This record gives sequence, structure tokens and C-alpha cells, in this order.
Amino acid sequence: MTGRARARARGRARSQQSAVPPVGATSGQPPPRPLQPQPEPPAEGKLVGRGRLRGAAVPKSQGLEISAGFQELSLGDRGGHRRDFHDLGVNTRQAIEHVRESKTGTSGTTIRLSTNHFRLISRPQWALYQYHVDYNPQVEARRLRSALLFQHEQPIGKTHAFDGTMLFLPKKLENKVTEVFSRTRNGENIKITITLTNELPPTSPTCLQFYNIIFRRLLKLMNLQQIGRNYYNPNDPISIPNHRLMVWPGFTTSILQYETNIMLCTDVSHKVLRSETVLDFMYTLYQQVEEQRFRETCAKELIGLIVLTKYNNKTYRVDDIDWDSNPKCTFRKTDGSEISFVDYYKMQYNQDITDLNQPVLVSQPKRRRGLEGVSSGPVILIPELCYLTGLTDKMRSDFSVMKDLAVHTRLTPEQRKHEVGRLIEYVHKDDNVQKELCAWGLSFDLNLLSFTGRVVQAEKIHQAEKVFDYNPQFADWSKETRGTPLISVKPLDNWLLLYTRRTYDAASTLVQNLFKVTPAVGILMNKAIMIEVDERTESYLRALQQKVTSDTQLVVCVLSNNRKDKYDAIKKYLCTDCPTPSQCVVARTLSKPQTVMAVATNIALQMNCKMGGELWSVQIPLKQVMIVGIDCYHDTAAGRRSIAGFVASLNQGMTRWFSRCVFQDRGQELVDGLKVCLQAALRAWFSFNNHMPSRIIVYRDGVGDGQLKTLVNYEVPQFLECLKSVGKDYNPRLSVIVVKKRLNTRFFAHMGGRLQNPPPGTVIDVEVTRPEWYDFFIVSQSVRNGSVSPTHYNVIYDNSALKPDHMQRLTYKLCHMYYNWPGIIRVPAPCQYAHKLAFLVGQSIHREPNLSLSDRLFYL
Amino acid sequence: MVADLGCADCTLLWMLKFCKCIEVLAGLDIRENVMKEKMHRLSPLPGDYLQPSERSLTVSLHHGSVAHKDPCMLGFDLVTCIELIEHLEATELEMFPEVVFGFMAPSMVVISTPNSEFNPLLPGVTLFRHSDHKFEWDRAQFESWAIHAATHYDYTVEFTGLGIPPPGTEDVGFCTQIGVFMRNHPKNGETVSSEKHTKHAYKTVFKAVYPSLKDEKYLQNAVVNEVIFGAEIIKRRLLGNFKSERKKHNETKLKFQPFKCCMRCSTNLSLAETEKCAADRSTEPFVDGNKVCIPLAKIFLIPKVNQLCGTFEKLNKLIAGKVALNSDGSAVIVTVENENEEQEY
Repeated sequence: MTGRARARARGRARSQQSAVPPVGATSGQPPPRPLQPQPEPPAEGKLVGRGRLRGAAVPKSQGLEISAGFQELSLGDRGGHRRDFHDLGVNTRQAIEHVRESKTGTSGTTIRLSTNHFRLISRPQWALYQYHVDYNPQVEARRLRSALLFQHEQPIGKTHAFDGTMLFLPKKLENKVTEVFSRTRNGENIKITITLTNELPPTSPTCLQFYNIIFRRLLKLMNLQQIGRNYYNPNDPISIPNHRLMVWPGFTTSILQYETNIMLCTDVSHKVLRSETVLDFMYTLYQQVEEQRFRETCAKELIGLIVLTKYNNKTYRVDDIDWDSNPKCTFRKTDGSEISFVDYYKMQYNQDITDLNQPVLVSQPKRRRGLEGVSSGPVILIPELCYLTGLTDKMRSDFSVMKDLAVHTRLTPEQRKHEVGRLIEYVHKDDNVQKELCAWGLSFDLNLLSFTGRVVQAEKIHQAEKVFDYNPQFADWSKETRGTPLISVKPLDNWLLLYTRRTYDAASTLVQNLFKVTPAVGILMNKAIMIEVDERTESYLRALQQKVTSDTQLVVCVLSNNRKDKYDAIKKYLCTDCPTPSQCVVARTLSKPQTVMAVATNIALQMNCKMGGELWSVQIPLKQVMIVGIDCYHDTAAGRRSIAGFVASLNQGMTRWFSRCVFQDRGQELVDGLKVCLQAALRAWFSFNNHMPSRIIVYRDGVGDGQLKTLVNYEVPQFLECLKSVGKDYNPRLSVIVVKKRLNTRFFAHMGGRLQNPPPGTVIDVEVTRPEWYDFFIVSQSVRNGSVSPTHYNVIYDNSALKPDHMQRLTYKLCHMYYNWPGIIRVPAPCQYAHKLAFLVGQSIHREPNLSLSDRLFYL
Repeated sequence: MVADLGCADCTLLWMLKFCKCIEVLAGLDIRENVMKEKMHRLSPLPGDYLQPSERSLTVSLHHGSVAHKDPCMLGFDLVTCIELIEHLEATELEMFPEVVFGFMAPSMVVISTPNSEFNPLLPGVTLFRHSDHKFEWDRAQFESWAIHAATHYDYTVEFTGLGIPPPGTEDVGFCTQIGVFMRNHPKNGETVSSEKHTKHAYKTVFKAVYPSLKDEKYLQNAVVNEVIFGAEIIKRRLLGNFKSERKKHNETKLKFQPFKCCMRCSTNLSLAETEKCAADRSTEPFVDGNKVCIPLAKIFLIPKVNQLCGTFEKLNKLIAGKVALNSDGSAVIVTVENENEEQEY
């Protein structure tokens, strides 16, 4: 497939590290940082982590302590600063009038579903009682404070959680204020005053956090290892020795307030680890590439990866490699003395470093909020003492690696249910766990949550005059529409074909087959201007500079391999300096006679789209609506610059799209650029339709966990302001929908006596949605292996008064409109277009594409 | 084998776990909660699983008093009691020498305790350094106690300390005084067996067994992984050569039949060459159809494999049933995948 396989491989690059943990967390009080970089402090010996739940200003509060066997866990757990991954406390639904009563849709047929959620059951009238504890005379040491307090098992009881000031109990003490007296070993009498400050309902944020701590503790009791945010089982790893990979099975868990219940959502997670150190990896790479390219290749492969240190359980992101340093370099310790890395690791961890000439890795700790401008220096890591985790870009694009991995990590709905069930079973069987849960008056449902969803009607595909039905189960109409006329075609009068001596055969095969397949779809084609170049990138560029004119409609390059630098150079030139649609084809994709026709057809369709042609459409009943898609690409190499792709529809059938992109440097807000894009899109819409759209619907992808608040508070007001600035009388309706693909939520359909993937078009807007949001899930795509992932849609702003049912249907319809795939995809087409655009710009072009291309799908 | 009595938050144990010579670590404390607070840092790390170490290591934590005997404390080489004895009540202190020197009887005991002569130099210290201290001894008191205990249980004791006093006050001695006790008599097997019947007085609150190559399961895993990865590398190298040769042939318009047989063993070789070939076959990998055969002898030469297995027999034993071998079990078989299979999204 032309660029498809490649694009997919590329499209995945790096953006998938959802399990990336917050790294480099040190103690709450950062040690005075020396000027020189230093290895991370031996934080094991120090206090790590501090919860959000800090409550009253306590001197040296060390996190909440939970009774009997749970003490060693503080609310901060580990990770130091904890982001609000679940976007709690963002209540957008109340502001959207027409969904306050109901946010559920109505159309479609019902379907019996299960999901990987378990209800948390608390006994009736359950509450968590929060007390404030005072000592007179004052006692400083937390340990002593707690020892003194718990001398009084009467009236406090055995079950409690205490952080030095705040005390949580599962029961209410007789009086609002309780006074007890304790005696220290020195014979001092201390009065302790316990005052009730709060009665927390099971749904309070504090309680939710409390449940999560208890549950994480259970996972530790199960002997699972924490890596990043999740817990993994090191005891039966799956090894894939031919790639030196090790897969640890594990779980993601979170307990949250859902529509009607507090539930535990748990999914199987797989952690890919490597049984080689960064140094081993460097050695292997050194043997594979030429000396002069070694450093560059090394940086490319390693930067952005997460490494795990040998001597403590911490993960770090590699931000740079310092080739001028080595383990013999020294750094200043906090006590002021100088020590070399070799000696430090020998002394602190008894770790021997054998290669004294290896470079060192540099990791920039993430900026931490709440610490008054204290910037912690970079963390220096020794390659020999770091294990690699996750996959490199090269591995991701290596088909055999991914295939070998998929065998182990892709689970069918039945397998997934089984694995998740094992966890919940353990919770029920383990005595310690049960005892603790019981003491707090909590338990978990044994069964997966079951409920009813809906499957909306399948969409018909309109192409030219014809209407096509297809099997909705497979969500694919490539067979039905093959070789039939398209909605609109662009003739190919003047086009170039670049090839090398080695790809000549492939190039002529391509031309022959294009002539065979284009008449059926209605594309008129002249012979290409054939240009032979040699393998070097400069040769391609020279040919382009000489031969591409303003009349050139399209350039096709047949490449002998998928070397990225050549591809990047061609794309960069043809997207910026000399704006011309282009199509790169790797010769090998044309090598199989049995598929060559299909490949040529796909290339022809893609070429047509790039020149502004249209393929198919679905019925869109809403009139005068402009759909916007936004997605981000994070450029890990270029100083973590982010690129937002912005795509907006231009016509009723959603077959033409306008595009722009925004560059965002580190620390810069995205919104300013988006305003410019929206203004430009409105102008383009006006010139296409001679009037302004009356509705604008924005699908916003690329929103990280915990960023929802920023979006609601900044981005949405900016959109509104931008619309206001257009004119006094212009008052379009606006809807903003946050699209999320990376979820732990799974749905299983009860069909044919077993659990299967829900069919495409399954909509879920009950039970697992959040009460404070106007949100829903859609399973739009169909997968052949494993379990399908639903997509989550969260309408954060909506003054359109569009019924939830219509919003859901429209969203589903848009998943049919991505022209690089004759089937239904996971997200609305504008999001996928925006992703493709941002990816092309971020990976290859690194500059804003020429605006003259903005009304075509040149980035496909 | 090292035991830390009064291990508190396990900091010393955590430091000791990095010592490669220690195979058993045990901690004992009377305060279970303090011990549990940070006990998880004594658990194996992901890295310990990724490359299991040569040595075996078991770490356990017990809840109990040093005034009680428990057989789980037998057989240790070193027992440390860092800033412990001053926390003991008089009755417990009385029992202490019998439990440590008499019952546990390790080859070496290290006991540290505050030196009260140093106290005037510490600002804010009135009576004792810590509110839980039952006593603080001067050098003479500690030394007399230590010598008495040592003599009684046939140990030799030497004194040292930590924390040098500021100039001009050298005569107060170290801030903390330390007694290092060495057992005079060799290990006495009888005592151990006679004490076997002692009842368990401690409660085990934590136990972690580190993955180690001494454990057959981890050794086998490590060997199998190295063998398969090594075979993969050899395969790639071989096919890389093979392909480039093929390409050369193609370019010179020589019709060549790929993947027919071992390239070397074509029919019209002279006898000498055939013999050489046969000799080669025992260590040289070759292509057979869509398979690559890599003789175990060759695999055994991989340094990591060699080091892990030690002997060829051991290699054979460890990979049996875990790695695909040819019919006579003399070579590893790696299947060559059809590269064209890829590209299907």
C-alpha cells in the first residue's frame, strides 16, 4: 500500500506512550541544587511524594497514613507531583442547558453490553469522617504524634488514616470534639484534641482518592511492580528473545464517580521492557552504522525514550545524550563535596561501571508547579545502569517486531474479561485485602458491569449518482465501490514521475496500472513526464527545481526504500518552496503482481484527493455547518515543539477541507494560533459558499489527561471571541467536542453466547459516562484481532441546542469521511486529517506549508 | 548472612542489599508499623528481574523483641545492633547478651550506642538524646558491659566509634561508641541443633526472594533468551551475506537459485573440500531451505551463553524443549520469514 503501511507506522511514532509516568520526582523539599548537573539523589532514603490532599498547613506532613498494613502509603504515593489525570472538578454539563436533564440519544437498536468496570459498594449511609488533631503542648515529630494518638484505641478504633494532622475514620465519634490525654516516655502529659471537621459522602473527591490509594495498596500486596502509573507482574514475563523484548502483563486501575455508581475501571496493560541496557543498545547500534552517523542515529533512536534505572525503581525520559561527559566526570553533592559518577554509584549502590568512556544521558525533570520557582537541574544517567523500556521508532515500524508483540498483547474480549476477572477475584479472596476493605465498609462487585447500549443505523455511501450499502460488521466498502465513478475528479494533464534506475520497473508498472484503473473511476490521465534521477537526495531536489513549473499538477516519486531523509526533503520542497501536490511510492509496494492493481487504485484515489478531487460522501442533514478538526503533534526532537493541525470543512457534503497549522513553542499557549486558523477558515468558507456558516462544530483531539480545564477556561472563550470579532450580526452556534482515543474503557457485546467486540456504530451514553459531563462513547471502527477501542467524546461547550442523538449521529457519520481509508475509522475524519497534517509538518516539513495548498488534502 | 536488630525503617538493610556478598538479610524490630512503612524498598526492582543476578538474595523482616529467641535468627555471620541497646528496658537488656551471643551466636556482632560523655557538646540535649532512651552510657560503662558479655560468651571485643569531637574536647571520645565482637570458638554445630526446638517467637511481616541465576527457572530463561537472540543475530548476518552475494550474482546476470541448499555443498566439490565442509558444518551455520541451522557448538561460543552455562552439556539440558532444534539436536533452527508478508497494515 503506497504510504499507508508506512504512514501508519509513522503515525504511531512516539505519540503512543500513554503509560509515560511523571518522572524525576524527588522529595517535596528539593535539595539545594548545585550548579553542575547531578545524578538523581538517593531519594529512596528520603521522603518521596506528597499528596494533593494536604489540607491544613502542617509542618512536615508526610502524607496520609492509613491503618493496619496500609501505613507505608501516603496519599502522594509516589511520583511526587501528581497530575489530575481524570480531569475531576471540570463540570461542563451544567452550563449546557439542553442536556441538563438528559444527555442520552434514542436512535438505533439496543444491544447488551458489558464493560471492564466493577461497582464499588459501600454500606448504606456510608461516610468518611475527617477530624483535625491538635496537640498541647505541641509535638513536632509525626511518628510521635501518631504513636500518642493511637494509644487510644478506645474511642478511635483500629481502622484509621492519619497524616499527622488530619485523621480519617470510618465511624463517627460520639462527640464533635474529643479530648484525650497521652503520656510520653519522658513523663510529659499531652492533651490531644480531636475535632470533627468534615463528614465526607462516598462521592467526595477526597474519598475517591482514598479508594484509589487503598486499591493501589492491594496491587502492591499482590506483589505487582509499579512502573509509571500502572502495576505489572514480574513473575511470568513473556519474553520475545529474538527482539530482546520482555513484556510484563499488568493492570491499569482507577476508581471514579461514573454516571450512577462509583466504579473501578481496570484494564489489562502490557509493559514492554528490554533485557538490555542503554549501553548494550549503543554497542549493537555501533556495529550497525558507520562511525560518522553513529551519534546522530543514537540520538534519534534514544531521545524521547523512557529508561528504567537498575538501582532504584524510577523511570526517566532521555532528553539528550552528552557525548562530552563520561562516568569519570564529577559532580558536586549536596554536602558540597565532589565525587565522580563511578565512585558515587559504587558507594551508594555498589554498582560497578565497566565502560568508563560511555557518554551520559541527560533527563530534564518536568517543570513542577507549586514550587516557588525552584528549578531543578537536569538529571544525569549512566547508560550502563539504565534499561530501555518501550519501543523505539524503528521497532514500531518493524513489522516483525509488532507482529510478535501483537500475539501476546492483543487480547480477544473473552481473554480480556478473564484477565480482568482474575484481578477482581484476587481482591475477593485475599484475607488482608478483605479485612481492610471490610473495616472501611467497602467492597467491590464481582461481575463486570452490564447494561444496554445502542447500535445506530448504518450509513449509506454516496458516490457520484450511486448509493452503496456494505456489510456494517466489517465497516469497509472498498469492494463495493471499487472501480466506480467518484464524486469529482481532477484530470491529470501535466504530471511528473521521478524514478531511479533501480525503480524504473516499478515506475512503469505504476503508470501501466494507473492507465488501467483510472478510466473506471472517471479520472482522465495524460502520460507522465518521466524523469530519471539517481539515488541521492540532491539529485531528486535538482530535478524538482528544474522540472516543476506552475502548470505541474502533481509529482510522483518512486523511491527505492523508505529512507526518511529523502522523503522529508521531497515533501519539504513541494509543500513550502514550490507548492505542488506530491505522491511518494516505495517501489516494493508495487512488486507483487496479485496486489498491484489494488495498489494502483489506491494511489489514483489518493492522487485525486491531493489535487482537490472528492471521493464519496454520506448524508449530512445539518445545513450551513462548518466542522473543524484539531490535533497536535509533539515534536520530541526539536525541543519539544508542538504542532497543531487545524482542518475545517468547506462544503455541505464534508468532502472538501481547508487546513492550516500552528507552531507552538514550549510554554506557549496554543490558542492564539488557533484563532488565526479559525478566522482564515471562516474566510475560506465564505468564499466557497458566499455566506457564513450558521453552526461551527469543533472536534478537538490531542488533549492530554488533566488538560481539560485549560481547554474549557482558555480555548473555548477564545473561539467565542474570535467569532464575535467577525461582525456584530454574526452569531453562529458553537459546539466544542473533545475527542479521546486512549482510554482504558472497553466494551464487550453479548452475542452468540460469548463476549465479542461491539459492532461499528455502537453508542454508549449511560453508566460509564460521567455525571458532570455531556459525554458519550462510540465504537466506530471494526478490528480483526483483539478488542476494539471505543472513542470518547466530551462535549464541553454547546449552544447549538442540537439533540444528543443528532450530535452522536453526526459524529459517527464523520468517521466515514476519511479518504485514505474506504471504511469507518476511530475518529471523525477532520481529526484524522488534522493528525496527518500535524504529523507531516512535525516529522518532515518543520515549517508552515504554503498557503496555496490549504484547500486540498495535500497531506494525505 | 546479616541480621539487623532494631532495623527501624530498614535504611541499613536497604544499603546492605547492594552488597554482592550477602545472600540472606534479616531485620528485626519491635515496632511493626515503623518497619512496614518503607519495607517495599527491600523488594526486588524491575531491573533485578530483567537481568537476574548471579547471587541469590532473600530479605525478610520480623516483628519481635531482641529479648526473645527465635530459630529464624540462627546461622547468621554478622548481627548489627545500631543504636539499639539504649532503647531496651532493664529486663530486656538483661536478656540481650544471652539472645545475641548465646543463642544467635554469629561470628561477628556490631553494637553501637551513644557515648554520654559527648552529650554536653550537643546543643539542647538535657538528659538523653532521644525521649525513648532508657539510659545512655559513658565509655567506661559500655566497655565494662561489653567486656563482661564477651568474656561470658567467648567473644573478643574491640572498641571504636563515629563522630570525632571538635578540637580541644578530644578527651570525651566519639559521639557514638561502637563495640565489634568476634567469636573466638569456631562454629559449633551442636548448639544450633539443640536450639532447633525453640518455638517461633517472631512474626514474619515481609519476605522477598530475589530472582537469581542460582534458581534453575531464571537461569533457563536467561540462557534461552541469549540463545535465541544470538541465533537471530547469526541468522541476520548470514542472510545479509547471502543476499548481498545473491545480488552480486544477479547483477552479473548469473542465474542463481536461492535457498536451494547449503551453498557450500554443491555436488562437484573435491573430496578434500567436502571433508573441510563437513568439519565446518559442526560449527558453521548454514541455510537449509527456509531455515537457518546454527550448530549448538557455535552457539556455545557466544560469550554470554558460555558464561551462563559453563559446560556444553548444561547448555543442552537448559534449552531442551525451549528452543527449536534440528532432528539430531545438534543445531538451533531459525525459520526465515518471508519478508514480503509485511506491508499488510
